[in-house]
Amino acid sequence: MPLHFVAPSVLLGLLAAALPWLIHRIGRRRARPVAFPAMELLLRAEREVSARRRLREVLLLLLRTLVAAALPLAFARPFAEIRSDLPAAAARSQSAVIVLDDSASLRRLSAAGGEPVFQLARARARSLLESLSGDSDVALVLASEGTPAPVAEPSNDRGRVLGALDAAACSARVADFAGALRRATQILAGSPHADRVIYVVTDLQATGWEGAAPERAAGGPAVIILDVGGAWNNRAIVALSAEPAPEQGAQGLAVVAEIVNFSDEPVRKLGLTLRLDGADVARGFVDLPPRGRARKRFLSSLHTLMGGGTAHDAEVEIDHDLFTLDDRRRARVEVSRGLRVFVVDGDPRTVRTEDETFFLEAALRAGGAGFSITTGLPDELPATTLSGYAAVFLANVPKPSEELAEAVTRYVEGGGGLFISVGDRVDVDAWNQRMKTLLPQPLGLKRTAAAAPGRAPEGETVDLRPAERLAPLDRRHPLLAGFPAKDDGLASARFFQFMLLEPVPDAPGRSVVLRYENGAPALVASDVGRGRVLLLTTTVDREWTDLPIRPGFLPLMQEAARFLAGAPGSDSVSAVTVGQRREIGVGAEDVRIEIVKADGQSRWLTPESRPAAARATEAHGRRTVTFAETDEPGLYRVRASRADGTVVERASESFVVNLDPAESNPARLADDQRPDRAPTGIAAAAAPKRRLELWHFLSAAVLLGVLAESLLTLRLRRGRVKA
Amino acid sequence: MSDAAGEDGRPAALALDPTDLARLASMSLRARVIVEGAFAGMHHNPHAGTSIEFAEHKEYAPGDDLRHMDWKAVARVERYYIKRFEDETEMRTFLLVDASASMGYKRSGVSKLEYASYLAAALGYLLAQQGDPAGLIVFDERTRQYLPPRTRGGHIRDLLLALEGAYAAGRTQPGRALAHVGELADRRSLIVLMTDLLDAPEGADGLGNRLRQLRSRGHDVALFHLLDPDEVELPFEELTEFAGVEPDDVRRLLVDPRDLAASFARESLALRERWRLACLEAGVEYRFATTATPPAEVLRSFLFDRGRARR
Repeated sequence: MPLHFVAPSVLLGLLAAALPWLIHRIGRRRARPVAFPAMELLLRAEREVSARRRLREVLLLLLRTLVAAALPLAFARPFAEIRSDLPAAAARSQSAVIVLDDSASLRRLSAAGGEPVFQLARARARSLLESLSGDSDVALVLASEGTPAPVAEPSNDRGRVLGALDAAACSARVADFAGALRRATQILAGSPHADRVIYVVTDLQATGWEGAAPERAAGGPAVIILDVGGAWNNRAIVALSAEPAPEQGAQGLAVVAEIVNFSDEPVRKLGLTLRLDGADVARGFVDLPPRGRARKRFLSSLHTLMGGGTAHDAEVEIDHDLFTLDDRRRARVEVSRGLRVFVVDGDPRTVRTEDETFFLEAALRAGGAGFSITTGLPDELPATTLSGYAAVFLANVPKPSEELAEAVTRYVEGGGGLFISVGDRVDVDAWNQRMKTLLPQPLGLKRTAAAAPGRAPEGETVDLRPAERLAPLDRRHPLLAGFPAKDDGLASARFFQFMLLEPVPDAPGRSVVLRYENGAPALVASDVGRGRVLLLTTTVDREWTDLPIRPGFLPLMQEAARFLAGAPGSDSVSAVTVGQRREIGVGAEDVRIEIVKADGQSRWLTPESRPAAARATEAHGRRTVTFAETDEPGLYRVRASRADGTVVERASESFVVNLDPAESNPARLADDQRPDRAPTGIAAAAAPKRRLELWHFLSAAVLLGVLAESLLTLRLRRGRVKA
Repeated sequence: MSDAAGEDGRPAALALDPTDLARLASMSLRARVIVEGAFAGMHHNPHAGTSIEFAEHKEYAPGDDLRHMDWKAVARVERYYIKRFEDETEMRTFLLVDASASMGYKRSGVSKLEYASYLAAALGYLLAQQGDPAGLIVFDERTRQYLPPRTRGGHIRDLLLALEGAYAAGRTQPGRALAHVGELADRRSLIVLMTDLLDAPEGADGLGNRLRQLRSRGHDVALFHLLDPDEVELPFEELTEFAGVEPDDVRRLLVDPRDLAASFARESLALRERWRLACLEAGVEYRFATTATPPAEVLRSFLFDRGRARR
């Protein structure tokens, strides 16, 4: 690093460095001579203090020489030239926008110093800001999606911009450079300066640059990129799901995590931990190939979960690397443990086994499924508080009363699940009239099967009546996802009679779960309000079908109950990514919704009526609130305040926010995709050398030297006085 | 002039400072003044021939011999005192004065040689008054001048003249001087050595050995260790180049004396303590004085302590 001087002629003063030595020598010559008889005593005394005395003399001489040399050196204004890491353009008068990358990937720790890369980016932005010429104005934009610009117009007030820079925090959002560059271009549009520059301080992760095509049009602002990143390796959990695990029993739960390795090196024995409701329940390991992925399936049982409620928090965490934000992912687990089910028996019999709901109740109780069953008659339903039931089964109810219809409609629209099975007693007209808002399709005529009975398995006593069978199952439907591909237990079921349904236009919230072989719907599902409805076009006893005695009846009824119990609404999901808005359903009695964020802070929202955009019918109005502050990954709890002052937990509305997996990919933006490629004009100037002034250090050295010399001399005098 | 109280509580000697003594016209006068100053306030006439082994008064107690009653004291103080006399025989005294170059040092006041001369003159005068023979040896590396102990009339004059003419030069060999005395003193004698003990050689001919030898022969030995105040506390405050007092002394030291003051004082004290202990071990009376101390005080202290020690 070569040294330069502003005033090299002053270096002649370095000759003064010899002065202390000369004074010392002259001083010695001018010493007073004394003939002293006690020389032996003197010499002995001198030996005792000689080491200390000589050291002090040498030190003093050295200090004085250094001070004498440092002074002319300082006055000569030495400086060194080092290569600047800032663009040359910064020195010119301009209007500038600093786009600071505050996306989630910058939360990773730098491999070098262990501090977040965002700190490096901010420091670089600060250096850039301080290096801009004094007559430049500057604005500040953050590159994460949806984040407002801290300084949205060019400002000459550097203090304000610096303050905004210091206050900026790294978000958990994905980057949106296209939006940031558009914003920056808009800011610069009205600038009076001829030179307009957008400085992008970023780690150059490829994510977020989609659509940010280089704007090289004439007159457009130049783009200069300050790269604060570098290649980095990462592994992340990119997906997490929870599903029933029948092999573990009725309470079995499987949590599946998908992990990706973005590096060229394999990962061996990466540890994973499963947590349910905050408690560690399982630990596993997985190997990852280079640039590969793996799925890890944890099996657990829901009976281990503490507390009641139908919704629980599942989380999987892998061993941490430099980027910890994507080493953890959450999901909501809806369970049916302890679900309360109200069964309305539309055709009660004195002989229990002939009861309409006998097989249904037996199926729901079987296998320790944990359903809590309450049975009642149709007349009893209106007086029953249904809000505590996860599902209501109306089995062969003849003619629903107005009260029943109102109560059930209110229940379903508030989030409840309704299962309707038909039979001889069903009054089609009454149903179509009073229950039309709930029926997925209006009821039609009863149909008696005409199909030949078919061959019966050997040894089996079968009903020889003509019967329909079910068409092959479409296991894509969540209700059927747990049924095995072979021997599903439903294919052998025979349907002697079933009810046809009036055709209706297709709607997003309605689906046919099961069909007969003749194509008629056997089981239809639809969303109503915040709830769900399943319509079985046959009986749940043996009147019209032998389904209740087929192996598939039991899982079909249990899955139906779970399906009904866990459905908050077809247009809502229990997990969103950071920055996504979340629609939260509001009950009829709710006056205010509280959302407790992952960091513990609360937000309160007042419900507003909004017609659902994708509702099956206009009549299915739904009150919602929109929550947009999904800033951080974590669990967001929802509570509702009612008019009577009570506050209820809305576990089914609680949701998790996860990191967008795109931020986990460390791939860097290709050079041909960079908006600053082939820079011209102001951006093309070569990076200058930066002057590093050294006279400050020399001046400090002079001051320190004088101080040290004074202290040493003072100490010497004090020692002499004591002597 | 010093008028401090004496150690025994009696009125102190009316003593002239050495600088004032130096202004006196002759050594004889100085000697008289020192002696008179030493005995001032005491019930003793230093000119009356009292022995160096002077016995003081004792208050009368029943049974004492009335022939020794000091009636003059009774008249003066109205108390009965008995004169106490020692039964003594004639004792010769040798006064040894170190006249080496180091004894000639002075920055102000009197040199150590001058001081020693005053002291020796006073002692010689006192002895002459008492009729006791006193001899003189002035020495450096060898005996420069020797006056044998005599009591004839002009001897004290010769002694005082010899002291007045002494000059400081050469190296010191006190041991050799004592050896000379040992040869001369054929019977028990009082030997008084006055020296600065600086650069005194050690070894077989060393001072320590000679002192012990003299004592073993039954002589009474007293050592006056005389130093200039500068040799006790280094007073210089500017950069100084110290050199030895001998022309052929090559020792040099360029130093700021303030750096050495504390350690020099320690070394000086150590020197004195070393010789004090050596004298104690040898049974030699050790006396230390600086040239700033009035010689009368030194003499008085010497005489009084000796007198007290005899009882």
